[in-house]
Amino acid sequence: MNNKELIASMALKMNAPKSVVAVLLETTVATCTELLIDDKTIGFQSFGNFEVRKKDERLSVHPSTQIRTLIPPKLVVNFKQSNILKDKLKDLPHHD
Amino acid sequence: MIKEKISSQEIIDLVASKASVSKRAAEEFLKVMIASIEEALMAGEVVKIKSFGTFKLLWNEPRKSVNIQTGEEIKINGYYKVGFVPDVVMKGKINEPFAHLEPVELDVEIKTTELIDEVESVSDPLRIFNEQASEIKNLISEIQALSPTAKNSAIKKTNEKETNTEEEVKIKKLPIDAKLIELNIEDDSKLIEESQSAKIRTIPSSLQSTTEHIIENKEVPKIEIDSLSVSELPTTPYLDNIQTPKKRKLWVWIVVIGVLIIGTGTGSCIFYPPAREFSKVTIANCQYTASKIAENLSFSELINTVSKWFSPAQKPVPKAETIIIPKVLNDIDSITAKQPVDSLQILFETPRVYKDFIASERITPGNRLTIISKRYYGSKDFWVYIYEANKERISNPDNIAIGTFIRIPKLDQRLIDVSNPRCLEKAKELHDIYIGSAEKQSTF
Repeated sequence: MNNKELIASMALKMNAPKSVVAVLLETTVATCTELLIDDKTIGFQSFGNFEVRKKDERLSVHPSTQIRTLIPPKLVVNFKQSNILKDKLKDLPHHD
Repeated sequence: MIKEKISSQEIIDLVASKASVSKRAAEEFLKVMIASIEEALMAGEVVKIKSFGTFKLLWNEPRKSVNIQTGEEIKINGYYKVGFVPDVVMKGKINEPFAHLEPVELDVEIKTTELIDEVESVSDPLRIFNEQASEIKNLISEIQALSPTAKNSAIKKTNEKETNTEEEVKIKKLPIDAKLIELNIEDDSKLIEESQSAKIRTIPSSLQSTTEHIIENKEVPKIEIDSLSVSELPTTPYLDNIQTPKKRKLWVWIVVIGVLIIGTGTGSCIFYPPAREFSKVTIANCQYTASKIAENLSFSELINTVSKWFSPAQKPVPKAETIIIPKVLNDIDSITAKQPVDSLQILFETPRVYKDFIASERITPGNRLTIISKRYYGSKDFWVYIYEANKERISNPDNIAIGTFIRIPKLDQRLIDVSNPRCLEKAKELHDIYIGSAEKQSTF
């Protein structure tokens, strides 16, 4: 499901035009990004937490050439699902 | 440090105020959003939100574990969990504080080629003189091996020739080498070809010229030996050789090579005291062995001429000349090599003048040129242009004093085209130049 499909399904549920939903989604994303940049954790109850984690710099060695490379530290977004969501997913049978 | 946690209620408030909708609408929207995502995930779909990220179900395999209290084995069933991969846009925004950092390869040797070159050019003269000394010794033993009659005649011949060349030295500056190399053609045309091709390539490093120097110096005594052993070689054929138009061209080259040889020789003699002393020692050694071996006077004369024969190399020919010659040639070469000159190339070549400025910045802790560059030009590689425009304020681009006031120049859009790899390449080239020069400054 891509962005468009998500908006379409949400519009159907909300009985609202797609354009309104699109604007709202965009604003939500922008707000979340801003908050994350400010190093804040965002908790959606029943869904999960978004938080920024710092990955420290590390030394990586190329397995074949043995070239050691210093990988700089970086900030990444981490998502941890809530227990409510976890319980919902628990009984989902494995399908592949 | 505990991070401030934003609840969904706060998000709803923020969204409501930003999108200027009622809180109820925002709340409903958020609920529906989460419900939709969950639904799609339950159906095994991948949910992608533009400029945010992708949600996906990840399967955790069932595994065995042990109850830590009882030691009983328990089986953990396989389960799904929601995985989230942030979008590239999101990643970039979040990682902005560290965006200027790049992976650094550690075991790579630091670029000190210039320093190495210097060291080598300094140690080269020693080696050259060493070789020359051994060649002279060989020559002497060769002469000694000859029968006394042949020796006499040979010596006379060479003496005549040597005096001739000496006179020529007084008139001109270099024909000695020229003539000797002319002899080379007779004996070893291959070598000349080689040195000529080397000339055409014109690698302007001092190393190259010194290697040529070595090759020719090696050859010179050999010719001497050949002419001695043959002992009947007339001088006129060489002159004929010079007269032929084909060879005349070659002769010009030879003169150039001669200038190079003399220049490097002089340079090394003047600027490197140990080499100077060493040359003195070798000459003295030669004279000593010569006086020991030779009984007749003419032979010691020969030695004198031999030692003089190296002395023109000590004539003060300006060293700058030797450096200029290969450089000029190289420039021509490089121009011809870069035949497809386009407008972008011209843009790169023209010196940049910074007149218009779009903004100004004050350097604060943690602020770097690369970060500023990324903000204004879209790529951290273009920091070099900011540096160029603020050169008088920044002594070391790697370490700018806090509070330095810099101006952001207005640049030609073609120059800072992020999508054009050539722009990035050019910026990297400049980067290497500036970082290299900064390192040099700090080492000296």
